[in-house]
Amino acid sequence: MAITTASSTQFLVGMSEIHVAKGPAIFTCLGLGSCIGLAALDVTTDVAGMIHIMLPEAFPDKPVDKLGKFADTGIKEWLRLLERAGAQTSRMKIAYAGGAQVFKFGANADSRLDVGARNATAVAEHLKRLGLRALAIDVGGSSGRTVTLDTVTGLMRVRTVAAGEKELVNLRK
Amino acid sequence: MGNSITFGPLQMSAVHEMANIGLGHATTALSELTGHSFNMSIPSVDSVPVNTISALVGGEETVCVGVFMPIEGDVEGHIAFLFPWGSAQRIWTLLIGSAPAEVSAVGELEASAMLEVGNILNSSFLNALSDMTGLALHATPPMVSVEMASAIAQSIVAEAEQREVVALAIETAIFDEAEATRGYFLCIPTLAGLQLLFERLGIAEAA
Repeated sequence: MAITTASSTQFLVGMSEIHVAKGPAIFTCLGLGSCIGLAALDVTTDVAGMIHIMLPEAFPDKPVDKLGKFADTGIKEWLRLLERAGAQTSRMKIAYAGGAQVFKFGANADSRLDVGARNATAVAEHLKRLGLRALAIDVGGSSGRTVTLDTVTGLMRVRTVAAGEKELVNLRK
Repeated sequence: MGNSITFGPLQMSAVHEMANIGLGHATTALSELTGHSFNMSIPSVDSVPVNTISALVGGEETVCVGVFMPIEGDVEGHIAFLFPWGSAQRIWTLLIGSAPAEVSAVGELEASAMLEVGNILNSSFLNALSDMTGLALHATPPMVSVEMASAIAQSIVAEAEQREVVALAIETAIFDEAEATRGYFLCIPTLAGLQLLFERLGIAEAA
C-alpha cells in the first residue's frame, strides 16, 4: 500500500511484502511480533526499501507463495529490487528490528514459541552470506514493535507499547 | 498456496456452523465465569486473518490482551481470543475485583486470570467441535500477551504457517449487552485438520 503526499511517499509494508522506492519515502511495518522489518538506504542514489519477513526459511516441500514471507527467499528478492532501483550494496546502510516472543505469560510460552528468535538468526545469517552488515539491530524480547524508516531524515524509529517511540539509527550518517 | 485453496458453499456453511456452535458454547462459558451476559456475532471466514482482526479491534497498534493456544489431537490448529485493553480491564474487574491501570502493571495474577479465561473459552469451543464430529481436539496450555493487536495476530499466523498449510481463519466477535466489553476469536485450523472435520460431517467432496 502506498500513499503519495506532497513530500514523501508512504509505504505500509504488510506481512510478507517488499517495498522499494527512489526519492523521499516513509516505510512502516506496523506491530511486528515475531516478524522482522528489515530496511536499507543508499543515500547516493536515494533508493530505499523495507521487507516484512514472517518466517526464517521457505519449506522445501511447498511452493513459495510470496518471496517476501521467508528470510532466505525474501532478502535475496529485496536486494534484487533495491539494486534494480539503483542501490549499490557497497553503499547500502542497513538496520532491522522485530523477532519478539510476545506471549510472555503461560507455562509453555518460552519453550514452544521460537519463530521470532529463528527469524532474527536467519536474517543475520542471510545478510552475512550476501556480504551485508547491519548498522543497528533491535531484536528479541517480548515487545511488539512498529518500525519506521523516513528516507529524508534517514531516521529508523522503533515504537513499542512499553517504551514509546525511540530512534534506532540514522541511516544517513 | 494458502490463498489459492477454495472450498465449496457446503464446506463454507459447515465452517460457519461449526464456528457458531463452538462459539455459542464458549460465549455461554464466559457468561458463567464472569456472571455477565455475553453474545456473539456471525462468524466471518477469511484467508487473510491478521488484517481483519487488527481492523476489528480498532487498528494494528491497538493494545490487546491475547490468549493463544495450539490445538492438538486429530485436528490441529491454532486458536486465540483477543480483548482490546478496555475490555480486558472490565473482564479483570469482573473476575478479580480490580484491573491494572497500565499495561506495565499486568502481573502474574492478571495473567493467570486471563489464562483461565482462555482455557474456558477455548476448551468449550473445542469440546463442542469434538461432540459434533467425534474427533479429538485437545487444548494445550494457553499463553498470554499484552501487546499491539498486529504483533499478537502476526505471531499467531507465523506459528500456524511454520507448521502446516493454512487454508482459512475464522473470526468472531463476542460482546456484552452494552457492547462495552468485546472479545475477538481467531481460529486457524490446518488444512489437513479442516479436511478431516469435513470428512466426519460427510461433506468431504468439493461442492
